[in-house]
Amino acid sequence: MASTRAASAGATLARLGFADPARAQQLLADPALGGLLDPLDDVFGDGLPDALARVADPDLALLALVRLMEALRRQEGRRTEERDRDVSHLIAALRHPGPGRDRLLGVLGASTALGDHLVAHPEHWRCVVEAEPRSAAERIRDLVTAVREPGELTRDDALRVAYRRELLGIAALDVTSPDPVAVLPRTAAALADLAEAALEAALAIATAELPVEAARCDLAVLGMGKTGGHELNYVSDVDVIFVVEPAEGIDEDVAVASGTALATRLMRACSASTAHGTLWPVDAALRPEGKQGPLVRTVASHASYYARWAKTWEFQALLKARPVAGDRALGEAYLAAVWPMVWEAAGRPDFVVDVQAMRRRVEEHVPPAEAARQLKLGPGGLRDVEFSVQLLQLVHGRSDERLRSRTTLDALAALSAGGYVGREEATALDTAYRLLRTLEHRIQLFRLRRTHLMPAAHADLRRLGRAVGFRGDAEAQVVKAWQAQAREVRRIHERLFYRPLLAAVARLSSDEARLSAEAARDRLAALGFRDPAGALRHLEALTTGVSRRAAIQRTLLPVMLGWFADEADPDAGLLAFRKVSESLGSSHWYLKMLRDEGSSAERLAHVLARSRFAADLLVSAPEAVQLLGDNAGTTPRTRDDIARRMATSAARRSTPEEAVSAIRAIRRTELFRIAVADLGRGIGLAEVGRALTDLSAALLQATLDVAVRQVEASTGRPMSTRILVVGMGRLGGGEAGYASDADVIFVHDPLPGAAEALAQEQATDVVKLLRRHLSQQGPDPALPVDSDLRPEGKNGPIIRSLASYAAYYARWSLVWESQALLRATPLAGDAELGDRFLRLVDPLRWPAGGLIPAQVREVRTLKARMETERLPRGADRRTHFKLGEGGLSDVEWTVQLVQLCHAHSDPALRTTSTLGALAAARAGGYLDGDDAEALEEAWSLASRMRNASMLFRGRPMDSLPSDVQDANGVARILGLPPTSGQLLAERYRRVSRRARSAMRRAFYDAP
Amino acid sequence: MDRQQEFVLRTIEERDIRFVRLWFTDVLGTLKSVAVAPAELEGAFAEGIGFDGSAIEGFARIYEADMLAKPDPSTFQILPWRGESPGTARMFCDICLPDGSPSIADPRQVLKRALDKASDAGFTFYTHPEIEFFLLDRSAQSGADPVAIDTAGYFDHVPGGSGQDFRRSAITMLESMGISVEFSHHEGAPGQNEIDLRYADALTMADNIMTFRTVVKEVALEQNIYATFMPKVFAEHPGSGMHTHMSLFEGDTNAFYEAGGPYQLSTTGRRFIAGLLRHGAEFTAVTNQWVNSYKRLWGGGEAPAYLTWGHNNRSAMVRVPMYKPNKGNSSRVEVRTIDAACNPYLAYAVLLAAGLKGIEEGYELPAETEDDVWRLTADERRAMGIDPLPASLAEAIAAMERSELVAETLGDHVFEYFLRNKRAEWDDYRNQVTAFELSRYLPRL
Repeated sequence: MASTRAASAGATLARLGFADPARAQQLLADPALGGLLDPLDDVFGDGLPDALARVADPDLALLALVRLMEALRRQEGRRTEERDRDVSHLIAALRHPGPGRDRLLGVLGASTALGDHLVAHPEHWRCVVEAEPRSAAERIRDLVTAVREPGELTRDDALRVAYRRELLGIAALDVTSPDPVAVLPRTAAALADLAEAALEAALAIATAELPVEAARCDLAVLGMGKTGGHELNYVSDVDVIFVVEPAEGIDEDVAVASGTALATRLMRACSASTAHGTLWPVDAALRPEGKQGPLVRTVASHASYYARWAKTWEFQALLKARPVAGDRALGEAYLAAVWPMVWEAAGRPDFVVDVQAMRRRVEEHVPPAEAARQLKLGPGGLRDVEFSVQLLQLVHGRSDERLRSRTTLDALAALSAGGYVGREEATALDTAYRLLRTLEHRIQLFRLRRTHLMPAAHADLRRLGRAVGFRGDAEAQVVKAWQAQAREVRRIHERLFYRPLLAAVARLSSDEARLSAEAARDRLAALGFRDPAGALRHLEALTTGVSRRAAIQRTLLPVMLGWFADEADPDAGLLAFRKVSESLGSSHWYLKMLRDEGSSAERLAHVLARSRFAADLLVSAPEAVQLLGDNAGTTPRTRDDIARRMATSAARRSTPEEAVSAIRAIRRTELFRIAVADLGRGIGLAEVGRALTDLSAALLQATLDVAVRQVEASTGRPMSTRILVVGMGRLGGGEAGYASDADVIFVHDPLPGAAEALAQEQATDVVKLLRRHLSQQGPDPALPVDSDLRPEGKNGPIIRSLASYAAYYARWSLVWESQALLRATPLAGDAELGDRFLRLVDPLRWPAGGLIPAQVREVRTLKARMETERLPRGADRRTHFKLGEGGLSDVEWTVQLVQLCHAHSDPALRTTSTLGALAAARAGGYLDGDDAEALEEAWSLASRMRNASMLFRGRPMDSLPSDVQDANGVARILGLPPTSGQLLAERYRRVSRRARSAMRRAFYDAP
Repeated sequence: MDRQQEFVLRTIEERDIRFVRLWFTDVLGTLKSVAVAPAELEGAFAEGIGFDGSAIEGFARIYEADMLAKPDPSTFQILPWRGESPGTARMFCDICLPDGSPSIADPRQVLKRALDKASDAGFTFYTHPEIEFFLLDRSAQSGADPVAIDTAGYFDHVPGGSGQDFRRSAITMLESMGISVEFSHHEGAPGQNEIDLRYADALTMADNIMTFRTVVKEVALEQNIYATFMPKVFAEHPGSGMHTHMSLFEGDTNAFYEAGGPYQLSTTGRRFIAGLLRHGAEFTAVTNQWVNSYKRLWGGGEAPAYLTWGHNNRSAMVRVPMYKPNKGNSSRVEVRTIDAACNPYLAYAVLLAAGLKGIEEGYELPAETEDDVWRLTADERRAMGIDPLPASLAEAIAAMERSELVAETLGDHVFEYFLRNKRAEWDDYRNQVTAFELSRYLPRL
């Protein structure tokens, strides 16, 4: 029978929540618990086991109870009858259900550290059982009395014992609260009161030990951080600042020295580890000049420091300052002198920059190994909430005194009441903050250790879950609740900073207080917008009204504003977004895409605020925003694909003008696609060059087809000749940039039997039309067609027949023409004619035997002359991307000279691409390895900077930017950190200088 | 730093300073000065004082915006030559762009960058210059033929000489500005004096040299004479140099010292010298930046014109001075080419960089030269592997143009500007028809 009973008792204990029922059963039978359990009563209903089962860790509580009872019975140094009375009182308290029993078991089940304290000081059980809320004054009185009459302990030890006794009471009320999250502010305030009392007692110790120093000065202790905020943790650093004033007739230096001695002693009294442990570190690093500065200062010295030197973050810290110990009048005098300055900090010139740096610091400073378990640091941590609330207090507390609370949750409530943050957001954050803090409290309470990490061990998580009220699968539930709240907080910037801006302009629910326009401007400026008034107008336009679009944008914009603010030009980004949004009206797909397709709104915001070129394209063709919807959308299309789309689209139009317009609309979209891919750094320089070349080729082909049909229609006769467009320059090389013209020459070849004159006339008409179509204002940026590289240059006919080219080259060909032909590549028109044209020019561009010395001299002379003549007036020859020293043309001429001399004998050199030829020239030993590297680097950098300039400004830049903002914007596009414009310029100068000296060697000096 | 600013503001209040001169240096080493009222100083500390950079040699055309001068409070000094109250004080400035980043065109920044690099390698760089200059009759200021104020020689004591008075007042003034003087005496040529400054870290020293040049000129004017740092004033007498003793410290230890090494010189010291010699030709345009500088270098006598080193060899570019027993921390190397008309920030930056390069790359130190290199024949020199320094500014420019080390040390903007300016100077010089030509050719040809 006994075994059945034992088994069933074990099962009941297990059911009650004991992790180790066998051991629990053993402990329950321990003689130490004699008198607590009725041996005849095996019904657990409302008995001790039941009560134990309600606490966070029943096994722990039971073991601690056994130890406590033993300790109490064994206690020495008390009269026997007194001790026995104490034991029987405790037994009485534990035998009956009620708050007393719950408190004691609750504390024992939540904290091993407090359990150990009770075992060491069993007589303190009454402080747990009879716990009640106490005022700060009462706590101060008790702690100060304890250190004044330390008995057989040292003063420091007396402080530690008395502190923990008080802590028992706070923990008792906290752990037995039916809703620990709700009482959090009260617990945190009680802990702050207790810290205050400890500091006062520590000062009493210092004063007692250093009477001479104490007589020479008045000392006040100001609480900072959570102590000042009246919202302390169980264990955290207690941040303080010391203020001193000389006693009458005492020199200031002497007073400061005395104050320093007192403060030092005070800090040691709290933080030194003794046989009775330690309280917490006292941290005075928030004082002026931090750890380098003097430990104590006078009010005047503090005030002059803050007036002159303090940084933004120091004002943010000062926001929390509150007199907590020592001379209260002096503390108040200090506050009166410096606290008003907190509220002027937002007006300081470097406020915005400082705040952004501080924000980055908050988000960055997490050791990666802990990131996943952090309650305090990192995005979504407690620090993030506190920081954000303080920042808003600084920005708006300047004009609204109601916001000047030191306590996070109170400040949040005030911000909400004033409309500075939304009511809903404030409530959600309040809930999240309380839960995270409660978790933190419970974790710290267990061992009284300073930690902000969620535990990893199963048993720890279970205790934590039970401590905040979960039963059943407590460990899983607590993790879930934590993650849900952390997610809430993670979106805090959007919720706190940006969403109320919309409320300011949207005129929605009227019962809720709104951010005033002035406050909204303050905030936008603090976030980095250069024209807050303008930005506010855009926000208003975007969110006003009852349309679905306005509704969706009201949800989206708070997040998007953050993305805009990350880029070089937030104002431009917001404006472009407004334009796009207005012209897309209420297109169903647009709203759906923004709302549903996660990353597309983000990509859009970044693209718009990073690149005016892309923004302008999008503003004129808002539908292109669709391609942001998926990743495949930002991969450049092939030449054939684009050509096909253009042809199809043109075929549907009735007039040539409409057809061209349709073709160019497609080009616009494709340009945007390439820009987006480039900005997202998904593709490199070579790929951008190829994609832009493909796009131009497709455009030339489609437009050529339109022009041909047009000529056929107007003359009423079919074409009597075939036409070919040959790409030259960067286009021929497959290395086009955003700002490149189309360098081409035109070739035609009359059909057999066609009249030569008619063929020439038709061909000329086609070319004229083609040029006109491409140079006109259109949906996309015009593509000026430059055919100056044709035979006889501007004086020659715009188009020649193949036979005419053959005759011309046979008679007249000049070296510069051979050189230009190096990059000739058929781009559009008749493919077979293209092959024949290449067969014609190959012997010219790759001459057998290379160049004769006179020709080499001619090339060099021409280049030298070009350097002085072609450079635009006023341009700096060191920084001009194309014609400057070490610029694009230096590199191109060098490699082209090698090609002219050696391509005949070395087929590897027969490429139209500059980088390809450069690589071949290096491999073939025609260029020194270092020189080739220098040339390649310069060419690539100049090309990238030219592209990036076009992307940033929407207009080409030919030289290093002369405006700091432009320089920084270009640097951002090249992937450098903010304000790197100057660095990029230095890099360009260096790279081009090296290229120039390589070019001198390889081009001018080579034999 | 904040306490220093506080100190400055307090001193200004207490000492009744009415003007504060903000000093900085252009790329060619000319001192520039903006005076501000004390009330503006607080703003200057926080945000800097805006000025139009395009008017300053080497600062122009970086960006089309004002530049900012931010005073360095650790350089605060009251200017003694304005003597009585209300007084004037000065601070050196760092030059910044409107976005707050330090300007790459600021010579002080160039030296700071070089020092940072040394400090990354664990070194602090100390220098100790011996600055020579001529005291001339006041008329020289307006371009008249220079007349020395005395006719004494090396170490001569000139009774009742104004040179003596001069040195006494100059040294008093320097000391009152916190610049310690180690030594002063009359030099070899008439009117030539030398004042040695006590060693200091290179940035402080460069600031001190700027101050020194101003003080010397001010004191001379007070005494109605004219002081010049022009490297070669009299063709028949030695020129004025600025021999500079240099040492690297690792913490409190002199990195050049090694007990028992040759001349008690450590491997680090030997490599540092090797770096100076290997890159000597490349940076000569910086340490000797004027057309006139090369008249001193190639003027015979004691001038060091060869890329060699020696223990007691006055014709060598680098000298290892006699070691003082039991003074390990006094180990140092002396560069003898540099002249006092250089930009000290840039000059010290390139010297340091060349020495560090020698350490980094582990250059081998060539053999010591004991002979007077001037007396060797050209073939002897060639056989011994002794290379000459650039013979003219043109040669120095050509050597510098090829130097990655100098470009990297100065930064490409300064490098480019410096070369452009020097090429223009050389062209101007070459366009002259000199008195030499007129007197020699005109009668004959």
